[in-house]
Amino acid sequence: MSEDVPVIETKRLTKQYGDVRAVDSLDLAIESGDVYGFLGPNGAGKSTTIGLLLDYLRPTGGTIRVFGKDPQRAPVEIHNRTGVLPDRFGLYDGRSARQHVSFVAETKQVDDDPEALLERVGLANAVDDNAGEFSKGMEQRLALAMALVGEPDLLVLDEPFNGLDPHGVRRVREIVHEENNRGATVFFSSHVLGQVELVCDRIGVLHRGRLVAEGTVDELRDAAGADDDAVMEDVFVELTDAPIEAGGESR
Amino acid sequence: MQWSPLARRECRTVLTSKGAWILTALIVLWGFRPTYTGWNAIGQNITIGYIQLGVNLLLPIGALLLTYQSLIGERTTGSIKFLIALPLKRTQILLGKSVGRFAGIGAIVGVAVLLISIIGVVEHGTFAVLPFVGVVLATALLLAALVSLGVLLSTAVDSTVSAAASVLGYIFVTLFWSTVVSKVYTAITGVPVDPYDAPASGPLFFALRLTPDGAYNVLTNWLLGVGNSAEQFHTVYTKLAPGQFINAFVVEAAFESGTAPWYLHPALSIVILLTWIAVPMALSRRVFNNGDVL
Repeated sequence: MSEDVPVIETKRLTKQYGDVRAVDSLDLAIESGDVYGFLGPNGAGKSTTIGLLLDYLRPTGGTIRVFGKDPQRAPVEIHNRTGVLPDRFGLYDGRSARQHVSFVAETKQVDDDPEALLERVGLANAVDDNAGEFSKGMEQRLALAMALVGEPDLLVLDEPFNGLDPHGVRRVREIVHEENNRGATVFFSSHVLGQVELVCDRIGVLHRGRLVAEGTVDELRDAAGADDDAVMEDVFVELTDAPIEAGGESR
Repeated sequence: MQWSPLARRECRTVLTSKGAWILTALIVLWGFRPTYTGWNAIGQNITIGYIQLGVNLLLPIGALLLTYQSLIGERTTGSIKFLIALPLKRTQILLGKSVGRFAGIGAIVGVAVLLISIIGVVEHGTFAVLPFVGVVLATALLLAALVSLGVLLSTAVDSTVSAAASVLGYIFVTLFWSTVVSKVYTAITGVPVDPYDAPASGPLFFALRLTPDGAYNVLTNWLLGVGNSAEQFHTVYTKLAPGQFINAFVVEAAFESGTAPWYLHPALSIVILLTWIAVPMALSRRVFNNGDVL
């Protein structure tokens, strides 16, 4: 996939809820082929940002472009090329894993084999089981399978490691690499720092709705003034412990 | 059409719910009420009259209960995040939801109509085809209006409890609609409304047929040829029968022949029902297209 424009680009993106500014003048540019980790403490605004990218939420200021298009005006074009694993989602009780994946495939008008996708995420033994009775880890795997339908050019994964056992975590990591090797851009949020370090080319750190640092792991270590062998947790704490400057409202 | 898988899924959701098939049974049981009055009114077409009786009250309750969760349910569970992430415009999501629910409930009501027809033919012999087709189409219009309304409730409220309360509120208001209209009419004009001897007022009679159920009854009574009224067909017949004195609003009983205003023509009920389809749809679209869905 080659794009002249960034796959995701936000300029002064802002989302205000009453007095609370959940996302504050956020400038992001995710290039084609990136594996971009979106880091931040709980409540930093990660899911809100993803909600804005996917048109769950509408911005109160600034602009968003995904594949150069406005998510509000071109949801069909954008979502045809995007796979999404949302955070805090619910599945359809009474429907099997196969039905969940088939539904996405039918809507995207692709003929992916649901069984193959479910096998890929480790749900080969639960293809026809009721998704309403899945454990959290199985739900997460199913949502990932749904995200992979149609070989999307962009994968948006919101806290993809949630509820997964170590095998599941490793599988997600492998899939991210496989998808990226295929040419997909991957944008994911997480607070599982070790995994982010293992998976991402670039990392953006969000704190109180603002991007406080961005770069490779080494660049973030430098920004935080940490040693070369400092673990990601120390870097993260250092970056998100400082007060926000430049007068930004914060949550 | 990229929204057709969504419509199919919505249709399946209805068809696989227990409540749906209970509705079929209830419509048949509630509708099949043979009476001498009904027979005297329309003879063998009483079978078509059973459809009107079965649909009255039960279809509004059933259709709203089978639609009011369609969107707010997904918002509550969080499954809407998958829905919005699909390559569909928000308007297409509403369309898929509405068309799917309409088809599902339509199939259920269709089975009920089929059962009533079979029972009717066995009990009373054959009936006229044209009024039957007309009443079935009128029932489809009523259902479309109710689905449109149910989807609007589901779009506009912020919890399933509020949606359920709105459904109850709607049922309650339409159930007592003639009382509400009479009280309001009296309050505005100072003219008391006696349903045994209603004033020949165009606005009063027009207001009585403004609910989807009222418009449906006016339309089906017209097709059955009993009279111009939002009441049930046998009530209209009784009201107009010589020597009978009952509390019912029937145009022919209140107005001298040929003096009823044009806007009380029964065919205009089609416009009322179409308005009940279009306005809630437009409002749903407006609410759902603007702002956050979470």
